[in-house]
Amino acid sequence: MSADATGVIHDLGYQRYDGGRLGRAQIVRTLTAYSLRAAFGLGRGAKAKIVPVSAFALMCAPAIVNAFVVARGGARAFPYDTYSAPVRMIIMIIFVAVQAPELVSRDLRSRVLPLYFARPLRRGDYPVAKFTALATACLIMVEVPLLVLYAGTIASAHGGGAVWAQTRALLPGLAVGLMWAVTLAVIGLAIASFSGRRAYATGAVAIYFFLSLALAEVLIGVAGDGTTGARLGGLVSPLTVLDGVRQWLGGTSPGPVPAVGSYGAAYGVMLLAACGAGAAVLAARYRKAGLA
Amino acid sequence: MTSVELDSVSHWYGNVVAVNDITMTIGPGVTGLLGPNGAGKSTLLHMIGGFLEPSRGRLTVGGSPSWRNPDLYRQIGIITERESAYGFLTGAEFVQATARLQGCPDPAAAARRAIGLVDMVGPMNRRISTYSKGMRQRIRVAAALVHDPEILLLDEPFNGMDPRQRLHMMDLLGRLGEQGRTIVFSSHILEEVEQLSGTIQVMVAGRLAASGDFRAIRRLMTSRPHVFVVRSGDDRRLGAALIGRPAVNGVELTPKGLQVRASDYGAFSADIARLARDEGIRLRELLPADESLESVFAYLVTS
Amino acid sequence: MTGLARTGRKSGITMPIYNRTVAAITLRAALGRKRALLFAVPPLILVGVSALLRLSHPADPAWPARILGDFGFSVVLPLTALIIGTSVLGAEIEDGTIVHLLATPVPRRTIILTKFVIATVATMVFAAVPELVAGLIATGGTTRLAVGLFVGALFGAVIYNALFVCLSVATTRALALGLFYVLLWEGVLANFVAGARILSVGHYALALASAVVRDPALKPGVNLATAVVMGAIVTVLALAVAVRKLASFSLRGDAA
Repeated sequence: MSADATGVIHDLGYQRYDGGRLGRAQIVRTLTAYSLRAAFGLGRGAKAKIVPVSAFALMCAPAIVNAFVVARGGARAFPYDTYSAPVRMIIMIIFVAVQAPELVSRDLRSRVLPLYFARPLRRGDYPVAKFTALATACLIMVEVPLLVLYAGTIASAHGGGAVWAQTRALLPGLAVGLMWAVTLAVIGLAIASFSGRRAYATGAVAIYFFLSLALAEVLIGVAGDGTTGARLGGLVSPLTVLDGVRQWLGGTSPGPVPAVGSYGAAYGVMLLAACGAGAAVLAARYRKAGLA
Repeated sequence: MTSVELDSVSHWYGNVVAVNDITMTIGPGVTGLLGPNGAGKSTLLHMIGGFLEPSRGRLTVGGSPSWRNPDLYRQIGIITERESAYGFLTGAEFVQATARLQGCPDPAAAARRAIGLVDMVGPMNRRISTYSKGMRQRIRVAAALVHDPEILLLDEPFNGMDPRQRLHMMDLLGRLGEQGRTIVFSSHILEEVEQLSGTIQVMVAGRLAASGDFRAIRRLMTSRPHVFVVRSGDDRRLGAALIGRPAVNGVELTPKGLQVRASDYGAFSADIARLARDEGIRLRELLPADESLESVFAYLVTS
Repeated sequence: MTGLARTGRKSGITMPIYNRTVAAITLRAALGRKRALLFAVPPLILVGVSALLRLSHPADPAWPARILGDFGFSVVLPLTALIIGTSVLGAEIEDGTIVHLLATPVPRRTIILTKFVIATVATMVFAAVPELVAGLIATGGTTRLAVGLFVGALFGAVIYNALFVCLSVATTRALALGLFYVLLWEGVLANFVAGARILSVGHYALALASAVVRDPALKPGVNLATAVVMGAIVTVLALAVAVRKLASFSLRGDAA
């Protein structure tokens, strides 16, 4: 033990780490994977899994019902591109409303954002990772039931031609599902990122989606079939906008929005604008987020 | 004078026993509840304060159970560990609202008095959301004092306070204790407890490890056998010299160094320095091997 | 000695039902600052859309029932009640600030009832009154439909808030469960399964509205007697359960 008045720094054998470090890409990948698990409540207690699991089960219910119907000799009960519209819309609203706050509001509440950004993680990486995770989760929620629908149908199908016909019908349905996942995820996250309280975020997302959907349906119903009002009424809600774009791209099954005719392009533009706005809001939100 | 009586009180969460068969009486004056984190101090305080039901045993405050007994809160002031506060209220509004809820006949005066006691008169008209951690703690103490309670329960009250605020708060609590109130506060920092309380209750892993005057317990704690690990220039020669000293109970050569069991660490500390110098042995390292609070308490529990 | 229990009138605890201080804190917490704007958005949309439709479709008799019923009554009312009802108590429990209210001699029943009253009145202001206003705009002054739905909305506000206040004490996921109830049970199930309507608050409210209006456009799933009885039962039961649960409120161990 040195007794010099000048002071000495002792060598305690502290070692620097000079090896390789995983880079930014790895951080983003890990954050995405972790957020994807959180979106389904994995890695948290049983209570966190109630909503995602029951939502998933309810989403698959029509597909399972269809399997029975087809086995009895009936035709496929639900189209691939709209699936069971009321079920899909309501369940996905609930799923996004409850799970988007799990991804972003928790971090805001416990103020861990400075910890994240003290790593080689750029400001834009965080929302991108969260969005990828939630979009993937929504993708699973939407596409897996479609695949179950498909599997249930071809299980009772006869011959390669029938199977091929089903497959051709499935693919556009999957594309619609992809649109759904991207749109719902970006808008849901954008709204949820404004509050650290999960309850308020859930309420805000749910109110936005559900209110706008109800409004769109009422406007369409009030305007009457075939009128301009009915064709444009769907623009107020992301869910009906998705339906309008589906029809514009060739979807023929009936849905909440009546035939859009020549206004299809308006729906396409609206969809891009909504997604763009959501992405911009998310990016801006996290550029500013410091200790808040 | 109101006292808190516990009789074989236990509480468990599922499989985890948080408070294990505690029997004690807490009387007027300041009592410190000391123990490492996770010892069950918060659980015990919550039970005394009527915010948790004992899974077993009987717990009474001033003769009546505190569970599901809101009227008892006229006599109890409680400060929980969790820093919750109405951020949108100003300090004065918060304390005054508490005074009204407590049924004080003149809420404004009571609030002013309580705020003065905790030295928060300056910032009292600012929103609580603008307060620092220590200020928040003090305004919560004011709210707990506003109705002049007989019993005060504080869970880690000095968290977040700077030394000056801590001194001030200790002074306040000391004065309140001298007035005959029953004050129970919990901490895991020995110095806080010994500065403030006459009686301490030591909790380890849910059980009551020691109670009584802290000086007596301190003596028990310091006069227990200690184990040290010494690394020196010549362990064997040092060991041979040490075993001749009365303060040393045992010596063992291990790969990590010389392990010494001493019965009186005060005398041992003096001895080893002198011996090393006399024998010309250079001391490299002297570490206590069992100085953790848990081992201290474990010793207390077994003795 | 001061502090010992004593009887007599004390400020703030004059009535065992309503406590002014609890009410003041609840109001400021729930409706303070920016949050009130969020509550105001759905009713503004309701009134705005009604006005727009009135200007563009003055003669059509069908749309008022749809806007007021499908949008105002079935969506704006329950969702507003959900947000308000779960936040008057749920937010404080989640924050931990409920301890400040509970560590006082205020009876638990008073706390629950005061918050329930605040929530119900707020819901009436933010959902029922706009329903009336929108109704008056939509029907151009023929008030039967508007008044009927207004009365139904008042009734619905009471029951919904009792239910959601109870949920907030009973579970931490009150909002999510409430959403499931409003969107799935009332939104989907009650339309397809007749039995589900008996447990649907929306239908109770609709039945009362229908009794006032006698408009064939409103199709309640239950008759008036059932609606009133069930509504009363649900309200009283929910509040009773809430009081019991609050009286047994427990703080879990070290630092939540």
